Amino acid sequence: MKPSNKLIKDLAPRKFGKAGVIWTWTLVIISVLGIIAYIDQVIKGQVVTNMNDYALWGIYISNFVFFVATSFVGTVTVAVLRLTKNAWRTPIVRIAEIISLACIIMAGITIMIDMGRPDRLLYLFIHGRMQSPIIWDVIIIPTYIVISLLLLYFPLLPDLAILKKHFNKTKPKLSKWYGKLSFNWTGSIAQKAIQSKSIQIIAILTIPAGFMLQTIDAWLFSTLFRVGWDSTNMGAYFISGASVAGIGALVTVVYVIQRAYKLEDYITDYHYDKLGKLLALTCLIYLYFNVNEYLLPQLTSKKEEITHTNVLFTGEYAPLFWLVTIGGLIIPILLLLFKKGRKPLPMFVIGIMVVVGSWWKRYLIVTPTLLHPFLPIQGVPESWRHYFPSMHEWVITIGTLAMALLIITVLVRYLPVIPIQRTADEQEELRLNKNTES
Amino acid sequence: MKNQLNFRYVFLTLLSVFLFTSLTQEIQAQDIKKNKVRLKADYVKIMDEEVYFDLKASSKIDKKNVDVANIELTISNEFDDEGIKLGSVTTNMNGESRFVIKDFNTLKLDSTNTFNIVVSFKGNDKFKRASKSINFRDALIKAELVTKDSINYITATLIDKNTDSVIVGESLNVQVQRLFMPFKIGEEFNSTDENGSIIVPIEDGIPGVDGNLTFEVVLNDSDDYGTVKALVKAPIGIPIVDESTFDQRTMWSPRSKTPIFILILPNVLTFGMWFIIIYLIIKLFKIAKS
Repeated sequence: MKPSNKLIKDLAPRKFGKAGVIWTWTLVIISVLGIIAYIDQVIKGQVVTNMNDYALWGIYISNFVFFVATSFVGTVTVAVLRLTKNAWRTPIVRIAEIISLACIIMAGITIMIDMGRPDRLLYLFIHGRMQSPIIWDVIIIPTYIVISLLLLYFPLLPDLAILKKHFNKTKPKLSKWYGKLSFNWTGSIAQKAIQSKSIQIIAILTIPAGFMLQTIDAWLFSTLFRVGWDSTNMGAYFISGASVAGIGALVTVVYVIQRAYKLEDYITDYHYDKLGKLLALTCLIYLYFNVNEYLLPQLTSKKEEITHTNVLFTGEYAPLFWLVTIGGLIIPILLLLFKKGRKPLPMFVIGIMVVVGSWWKRYLIVTPTLLHPFLPIQGVPESWRHYFPSMHEWVITIGTLAMALLIITVLVRYLPVIPIQRTADEQEELRLNKNTES
Repeated sequence: MKNQLNFRYVFLTLLSVFLFTSLTQEIQAQDIKKNKVRLKADYVKIMDEEVYFDLKASSKIDKKNVDVANIELTISNEFDDEGIKLGSVTTNMNGESRFVIKDFNTLKLDSTNTFNIVVSFKGNDKFKRASKSINFRDALIKAELVTKDSINYITATLIDKNTDSVIVGESLNVQVQRLFMPFKIGEEFNSTDENGSIIVPIEDGIPGVDGNLTFEVVLNDSDDYGTVKALVKAPIGIPIVDESTFDQRTMWSPRSKTPIFILILPNVLTFGMWFIIIYLIIKLFKIAKS
C-alpha cells in the first residue's frame, strides 16, 4: 500500500530543534576529547592508565563487554520477535537495529583502545591461535557488524525509496542520496520477494551470531580459571545479561525519540507495556543466573570463591554490587510487575536504571576478579590491590559512549526511525480487517 | 674584671656540656649490643669432580634464629700455627654460601694427616667476630657397577688416601639421584667390611631419562672424613616415556598444532556465516536489477 502523506510527514527524518543541535554538539565535543585523550595514550603508552600487573584489564574491557551486551538488542528484539511473529515490534525494531549497529561498532573500537600497540592489530590475524577465544572474538565482531548492518539495511529499502520521492523537491541532494541507497527500489513483486526472503534469512542468521558473540565474550573470562570467572554458567549468564542491557537501552532511546519526534501516535502505551513485560522477563532470567553465579560459590565454601564473593557482598565492592543488583535489577523487576510501572515515563526511568546498572555490572565482573590473582605475587605494592580508572581512562571511555550515542543520533537524523512502508501496510491490513468484520 | 670571670664560667659550662654529651654518646654507642654469629661449615668431596665447603651463618636475635645475610667469610688453611688464606665468600639471603676449592692438592696437612680449615668472620656494626674450624682427613671412595647372575650391584671401597689403607666399619649410603631428593636403595646401613668394601644389589625397574641412572655412594658427615661422595653412571634404568602433550594437537599447543576440531568447527561456522552474508549482498544487487 502507498503510505499517506501524513504518515510520510510524521515519520520522515527531520531537522533537529535547538535541543537536538545542542545534544549533537555536546556528543561531538565529548567524542573529540576522548580522541585527544586516546592519542595522548598512544603517544605516552598505557602508563597513563591505572592498569597494572593485577588489574591488567580495566574499564576499557568492562566498557567493551557492555557494548557487546547492548548490541544483543538486535538479536533479542528484531530477530526473535520477527520469527515469533510479534506484530507489536514494528515501531521499535528500527531503533533496536540502530542501537545494535552503533554498539557493535563501538565494541570493535573499544577493544583496540585496550591494546598497548594498536598498530599490531594485524598480528591478531597473522599470528593468532585458533584455540584462543580472543581470536574467536576477532572473527565474530566484524561478522556481527556486517550482519547488524544488513539487518538494518534490508528493511530500509522501501523507506529510502519513499524518502527519495518525499525530498525530491525540497532537498534534491538528500533525495539523490536516498535514491542511490534505495537500490532502485520500486516495490515490484520480484523485489518484495527477494527482500522478504533476505530479511527472513538475516533474522535467522542473527540469532546464532548473537548467541555466539555473547558466548565468546563469556568464554574470554570463563576459560581463565579465575575466581568469579571459572564458571560453566557464564555463557547463559552473559546472554541473559545482554538481553537486559539491550532492552534497557532500547526502552531509553525509544522514549527519547518518541518525545523528541512527537511519535505518540505510533509508539503508544501498548508498546511500552509489551516492552516492559519483555524487560521484566529478561530481568527475571538474569536474576536467576545471578543467584546461580554468586550464591553457589558462597554455599560450596571454596576459599578463594568465598574471598571473592565476600569482597562483593560485604567488602570493598559491596556498595556498588548491591546498588547494581538492587537498583539495576530487583527494583526494575518489582516496578515492571505493575501496569503503572510499564507506562512511558516510569519505563524511561527503569531503562536508565537498567543501563547504568548494566554498565557497572560489567565493571564488577571484570575488576574484582583481577584483584585476586590466580598466582599471587609476593611483595607487590599496595596500590596493585586496588583499581580505579585514571582520568585518561574515564575521558576515553566516556568518549566511546558519546560516540555510540553520536552514531545513533546521526542515524536517527537521516533515517526513518519507524518503518514507513511497513506501518502503512499494517494500517491497511487493520483497515481491511475492520471492513471485513463490519 | 667581673665580665671576664663571667665569660670563663660560660666557657667552662659550654665545654663541660660538650664533653658530657660526647661521652654519653660514646657510652650509648657502646651500649648497642652486637649479636653473636654462629657459623656452620660442612666439608664435601665429590670424587673426580669438586671439593667444597657449605657454609651457613645464623644468629639468635630476640630468641629467634635469624639467617645472617651479606657477611664476608674468610676461609684459610691452618698450618704450623699460620693461616694460609684460601679465599672468601659472601653469604646469600639465607645466610648460606659455598666455597669451592680450586686445587685440593695445594691444601697442607698437619703431622697427623689432617687438614685444618678455619672459617672466620671479622665482625661488623651488628655482629661480633666469629670463627669455626673444621678438621678432616682425606678419604676416597672407589665405586663401580658389577653384574653377577643378571643382578646388578654397586660395589664400593672406602680408603684413607694419606695412609693408603682401607677404612673399616664406616657406614656408606647407596642412593640413586632423583629430581628433588636422592632415593635410597639397599639396607639402611651398609658398613664397610674388613676390605673397606660394601656390595649392594640394585632392584630392577628404576626409571631414568633415556634409561640412565646416576648412583651415589656416600660417606655422610663423618667426624673424621666429612662427606665424601662417588658417582656411578649406569644405563640400567627403565627409560622414562615423555608423556608431555605439548607437541600434540591440544588447546595449549602452538598455532601449528591446533586441534583438528577447533580448525574445522569455527572455520565451518565462520565461512558458513560469511557465505550467507555474501549471498545476501548479491541479493541486494539483484533487487537493484529487478
